[in-house]
Amino acid sequence: MKLEIQNVSKRYQRNRYGLKDFSITIEKGILGLLGPNGAGKSTLLKMIATVNKPSDGIISLNKNNIAKDANYMRKQLGFLPQDFGVYPNLNAYEFLEYMAAMKGIGGPNLKPRIHQLLEGLNLIDTAKKPIGTYSGGMKQRIGIAQALLNSPKIIIFDEPTVGLDPEERVRFRNLISDLANDCIVILSSHIVSDIDTIADQVAVMKNGTLITHGNQENIISNVHDKVYETSIKKEELGTFKLNHIVVSTSRKNENLLVRYITTAPIANSIRQVATLEDAYLYLTKNN
Amino acid sequence: MKPFTTIIKLDYLQRTRSYSFLITLCASLAIAYTFVPEPNANYSTIRIADYVGVYNSAWFGYVTAIMTSAFLSLIGFYLINSSIKTDIDNRVGHIIAATRISNFSYLLSKVISNFLVLLTIVGTVFGMSILLFFLYNDGFSFYLIQFIKPYVLITCPAMFIVAVIAVVFEVVFEKYTILQNILFFFLFSLLALFSPKNENQYALDLFGNKTVLHQMENEVRTITNSDQTTKLSIGYVLGNVKKANTFEFNGVDFSTSFIISRFVWILIGIGIIVGITPLFHRFKRKENNNTKETAVVQKRLRIKEVLLSVLPKTNENYGVLPLLRTEFLLLFRKGKKWLWIINIIGMVLLSILPIKVAHQMVLPILWFIQVHRISDITTREITNNVHYFTFTSYKPIARLLVSKISSAIILLLCLATPLLLRVGLLSNFSLVIAIVLGASFIVMTAALLGVLFKGKKLFEVLFFMITYANINGILFLDYFGGFEHTNFYIIRLATLVMLLGCSSFLLRRYQLKK
Repeated sequence: MKLEIQNVSKRYQRNRYGLKDFSITIEKGILGLLGPNGAGKSTLLKMIATVNKPSDGIISLNKNNIAKDANYMRKQLGFLPQDFGVYPNLNAYEFLEYMAAMKGIGGPNLKPRIHQLLEGLNLIDTAKKPIGTYSGGMKQRIGIAQALLNSPKIIIFDEPTVGLDPEERVRFRNLISDLANDCIVILSSHIVSDIDTIADQVAVMKNGTLITHGNQENIISNVHDKVYETSIKKEELGTFKLNHIVVSTSRKNENLLVRYITTAPIANSIRQVATLEDAYLYLTKNN
Repeated sequence: MKPFTTIIKLDYLQRTRSYSFLITLCASLAIAYTFVPEPNANYSTIRIADYVGVYNSAWFGYVTAIMTSAFLSLIGFYLINSSIKTDIDNRVGHIIAATRISNFSYLLSKVISNFLVLLTIVGTVFGMSILLFFLYNDGFSFYLIQFIKPYVLITCPAMFIVAVIAVVFEVVFEKYTILQNILFFFLFSLLALFSPKNENQYALDLFGNKTVLHQMENEVRTITNSDQTTKLSIGYVLGNVKKANTFEFNGVDFSTSFIISRFVWILIGIGIIVGITPLFHRFKRKENNNTKETAVVQKRLRIKEVLLSVLPKTNENYGVLPLLRTEFLLLFRKGKKWLWIINIIGMVLLSILPIKVAHQMVLPILWFIQVHRISDITTREITNNVHYFTFTSYKPIARLLVSKISSAIILLLCLATPLLLRVGLLSNFSLVIAIVLGASFIVMTAALLGVLFKGKKLFEVLFFMITYANINGILFLDYFGGFEHTNFYIIRLATLVMLLGCSSFLLRRYQLKK
C-alpha cells in the first residue's frame, strides 16, 4: 500500500492557492498532519478522499491515479471529514446501513459488524434513537463508525477529536494505533497532543505548503537546545513576546513562568527538553 | 434607530445576495413581460367580456400593478416565508436571542426585510411595465403617474400585508412550514373571492384591485349599454383567438376612504406584529427540543475498544436496493407524522370520489402536499452536510441518484395507488401511464432544479404555480393526464421526462467531475 502525492496544488483563483506544490509519499502507518487553521490540511485530505480534484499534480494509490479512477480509492477508503452531518431522521443502525450501501458493502456480516462497531464506540444503547437527538460527541462517533465500515486500507481523519472529551480522546488514539497495523492512517489536527503520541510520521503545513516532514525525532531536532523556561514579571510579557517565541505561560506567585524558544536565552533561563509542540510552534512561526 | 435599520439592511442584503434571488428576479422579469400581452398574442390577462383597454399608460400601469398584486401576493409568500427559520438554520438564532434587540424590533425588522425583498421584485416588474408600454403602446403619451399611482396604492400595501402574514405564520406555527403553506393558500383563495358590494367595502379588499376591476367593468357596461354583469377574467386565459374590442381606460380616481384604507392596512399589519410578539419563541423552543434527549445519552459516553482486525468481514455489494430502501425511508419520515393523516385522507378521497374529480383535483393537491419531501432530493446531502460521504461513495450517480429519484417516484405512485387501481380496473392504461409519467415528471423537475440551482425554493414555487394552474384547469400545465391523455400527449410527456432525467444525470456528473 503506497500513497504518493506528487507536486499537488489546489488553486481557487488565479493567485490564490489552498495548497501549493505539495509532495509526500505515505506507506503503512500513521501520518499526522499538523498546521494552523487555514494551512491547507482539509484541502489536501479532501483531494486524497476524492471529494475534490487537484488543479495540478498527481495523487496515486498503488500507482493508480485517483483523479482518473476515483472508485479505486473509494473502495478502500474510510473518511471522516472535519465538518460532516447526518440524516437526523435515521437511527444509528439505519444511517450506517445507508453508508455501507453507498460504499458498496453488504453480506450477512454487515449487521454484526455494525453492531460491534456501535458497541465499541459505545453507541449501542442509543442506536435505535434518531441521530438528530445525539450530542456532538456522539455524532462524531457515528462519523468514526462509518469510516471503519468497509475494512478500509486508507483511513483519513480530519480533526477527529473535535467534540470528544479528554478521556475519549485517549481511547480514540488507542483505536487509531490499532488501525494502523495494516493500513495507512492520515490524521489531521491543530492540537499537537492528538498527534505526538501516535503518529509514526509528522508533516507540518502552513499557508498551503509543506514546511517539513519526517519522524518526530527529526522534527523535534529543529528546536534541540532552543527551548528554555524562565520567570518574568507580568508586565514584561508583551515585550518578551516581541523577542522570543513563547510556547506557554503559567502563573507563579506574582510572576509568570514562561516556556520559550530562542537561540539567545536571557539570564536565569533553564534549558528544557524539546517536544513536538515546541518544534511545531517554532516551525510555523519561523516559516 | 440606526441599529434597527442596520439589521434590516443586512438581513435584506443577506437574502438578496444569492444566486436563487437573481433567478427569481429573472423569472419575475419574464413573467412581467407577459402581463400585458403583445397585440397579436393568443392569450389574455385582464379581459372584460370581449373588451380590453387600449394600450395607453393607464392600462399598462394598472394591469401590471393588479397582476403583480395578485400573483406576487400568492407566490411572494412562498419566497419569504422562512426568514426566521433561516436564522435558525444558519445557527445565529441563539446569538440573536442573547442580544438586546426586543422581540418586536426583531419581528418588525423581518417584516420590513420581507417587504423590501418583495418590493425589489415589484420594482423589477414596474420597470418592465414601462418597457412594455414603449414596446406596445398605441401612440398614446407616457404618463408616469399612471404607473406610480396603482403600484403605490394597490401593490405596495398588499406586499406589506403579505410580509406581515409570513412573519405571523412563522411565529404562530413555528416550524410547521407545510401547515403555513396550506393555510396561506386557503387564506389567499378566501381573500381573492371577496367581492365588495359598495364603495365602503372596497376598503376591506386586501389586494386593493377590486375597485379598479369594477371601474373597468363599469366602463365596458357603459360602452355596451348593458346592466348585466360583464364577464371579467383575470389571470392567464390561453387560446383567446377572438380579437378583443377595445375601450379607453384612463385610470381610477381613488376615493379618500380607499386611500386611507391602504395606509390603515399597513398600520393593522404593524398592530398584528405587536399582538403576536408575546408568542415569539425567541429561539428557545428548538434548544429545548434537543437538550432533553442529549442530556440522557451523554451519561453513557465512553469509547471502549474497537479491534478492526477482529470485526466480521463484509462482502462487496453494489446493488441499489439498500440505498433505495433508505432513501424511501428518508422521504417517508420527513416532516411531521400527522401529515400522513392528510395523505391518508387524500388516498381515501382518491378511492371514493368520482374518477374525474379524484384525478383532476385531489391527485395534484395530494402530490403537492409532498413538496417538502421531494423538493430537496438532490440537495438533501448538502443541506444535511452528508455530501462528503455521498460524493465519495462508490458510483454516486449510477447508484445514488437513481435511488433518490426512484424512491421519490415510488412515493408519489404509492399515494396515487387508489386512483391507479381504479383506472387500471377500467382498463384505461393510457391514464395509468400518464399518472406514472406525471409522478416521474415532477420528481425529475425537482431533481434537475436541485442539481442546477443547489436549492429547493425554486422548485417549491414552481410546483405551487403548476398545482394552482392544475386546479384552475389550465391544460398547458397538465402534467399528469388529468385533462388529456392521448398517445401524442403521452409521447410528449415521456420525452420531457427523459430530457429532464438525462439533464439531471449529466449535470450531476459534470458537478462531481468538476
